[in-house]
Amino acid sequence: MKTTTLLLLAMLFAGLLMSGCKEELSIHDPGNLVPKTVDQDPTLPSIFVNGALLHAEAFGNPSDPLLIILHGGPGLDYRYLLNCREFANQGFRVVFYDQRGAGLSQRFPYSSYTQQEMYDDLRGVINHYRTSSTQKVFLLGHSWGAMLATAYINRFPTEIAGAILAEPGGLTWTDVKNYIDRTRKFNPLGESLNDVLFMEQFITGDRDDHAVLDYRFELWASASNSKDAPTGNEGRTAHWRSGAVTFNAYVDLGNKTNPDWTTNLDQFTTKVMFIYSENNRSYGLAHAQFVSSAYPSVQLFETLDAGHDMLSFQTGWNNTFPAMLSYLNALK
Amino acid sequence: MKTSKLLFLASTVWILGTSAAEAQTLNWFSLRQEQRNIVTVNAGYDYAFAYGIGYGRQLNTKLPTVINADFTQPAGEQLFDDFKTKIGAQVLVHRINHVHFIVKVQGVFRRYHNEYVRLLNFGSDMSGVIGYYRSHWFAAGEFGFDKAIVTHFKHSDLYRADFPTVKDGWYKPATGGNFYFGLQAGYSFGSNDITLKLGRVVQEDFQTNPTIPFYLQIGFNRRF
Repeated sequence: MKTTTLLLLAMLFAGLLMSGCKEELSIHDPGNLVPKTVDQDPTLPSIFVNGALLHAEAFGNPSDPLLIILHGGPGLDYRYLLNCREFANQGFRVVFYDQRGAGLSQRFPYSSYTQQEMYDDLRGVINHYRTSSTQKVFLLGHSWGAMLATAYINRFPTEIAGAILAEPGGLTWTDVKNYIDRTRKFNPLGESLNDVLFMEQFITGDRDDHAVLDYRFELWASASNSKDAPTGNEGRTAHWRSGAVTFNAYVDLGNKTNPDWTTNLDQFTTKVMFIYSENNRSYGLAHAQFVSSAYPSVQLFETLDAGHDMLSFQTGWNNTFPAMLSYLNALK
Repeated sequence: MKTSKLLFLASTVWILGTSAAEAQTLNWFSLRQEQRNIVTVNAGYDYAFAYGIGYGRQLNTKLPTVINADFTQPAGEQLFDDFKTKIGAQVLVHRINHVHFIVKVQGVFRRYHNEYVRLLNFGSDMSGVIGYYRSHWFAAGEFGFDKAIVTHFKHSDLYRADFPTVKDGWYKPATGGNFYFGLQAGYSFGSNDITLKLGRVVQEDFQTNPTIPFYLQIGFNRRF
């Protein structure tokens, strides 16, 4: 009896001690664990498009053909694709933007995301930077960005002069899901997977708690760079901030609507350049042939000595850039 | 007196807020007075695939009480970079024939480390169990709350390469909280129990789920 009371008193004291800690930092405040977004930090470069403030930059002569860079994710940012600035020295106006709710762009509630907004945002970015109606527009999309590029081409087949597509998981949602399943083959007893899962008892956030969820997503994404990940990445790619809510929203939207972005591709007769990497065990030639076959005309290209991050590291970039440039120059 | 003790217990539980699955699962009916010590080994899914050991000490109290210390760590190549420890007590607060009401209150200390960050967390775990206990078996339901009350963040140079001004230090208010509820059952023979518990985990907003929203644990107790 006495012992129980003492024990309970000790616990009560411990509880009071912990609840009495001086309030210091909050995980909910942007700027603590994740950077502020363009609407919170006006010093960041931004454009206002389709009701959203997007983190964006452009390089090169404004009247040169536009090359719009579409990052992966959904929910990553364009920092890992900044090698593409090199096209600005080769006669292209290179435009980078963080997609809605991703990177350093403005955040929106989970329930606000639609497929239509994806198209409207990209069209808004093109219109923002386009200086004349005759200026050609090219898209370069990596992973999810290549799916977005295809979705846009499928919707507006006459607006785009050419596209470079680097390892889109699929161009129909069924193919995307199959690809995602393959990329998530982690050892169930391995460090990477359990690092992702064990963390979930330390940090939790509501569905629209952007700062918390983005930080968690960043820790989660570190597993994809591990040596036992099947995507064959050379290392950790640089990011500013992940967009967890936009990721969740688009994945859930995909699962609900099961989109097929290939229904009008037969109208896009321009050759597309389709890149896959030697070290991505989840992709490979067979999957590249299968996915790209939705396009009438395809130039398949294998980046040697690189994985899914083939555009981010020097070896992959050096092995891919000349072929991309020659493709773009041919259509310029 | 009984009421005030229960109120005191309830308030303690409330203040501590509350972790999940791996506190010792006991067959209170087969636990004899002279069996002062209980050692446990267990394995299963508790957020991640994890395995653990535990020690319990039965106190000589009016309300049957077992104080316990548990250590759990997730599977992985790096030992002790991630782990969870719990120290607390479970009390048989009420009994109607073979139906037992048990309250568990535990303080939690856990560590997490990956290439980006090291987290140290003080938290709490409170749960209630109602079950039917016989000498050779038991079946019970449990409901609990695992709260990450205060967490220290220390980031690596790798994370700082992305975000140089990230702020290290103690983060408060609470950085996380998960409810859990499920079933537990066991078979007892001699001075041993084989136990099984399984259930569901949901974040404290009751809308968002962890990646694996379930827990499952198989355990073995030796009483002496």
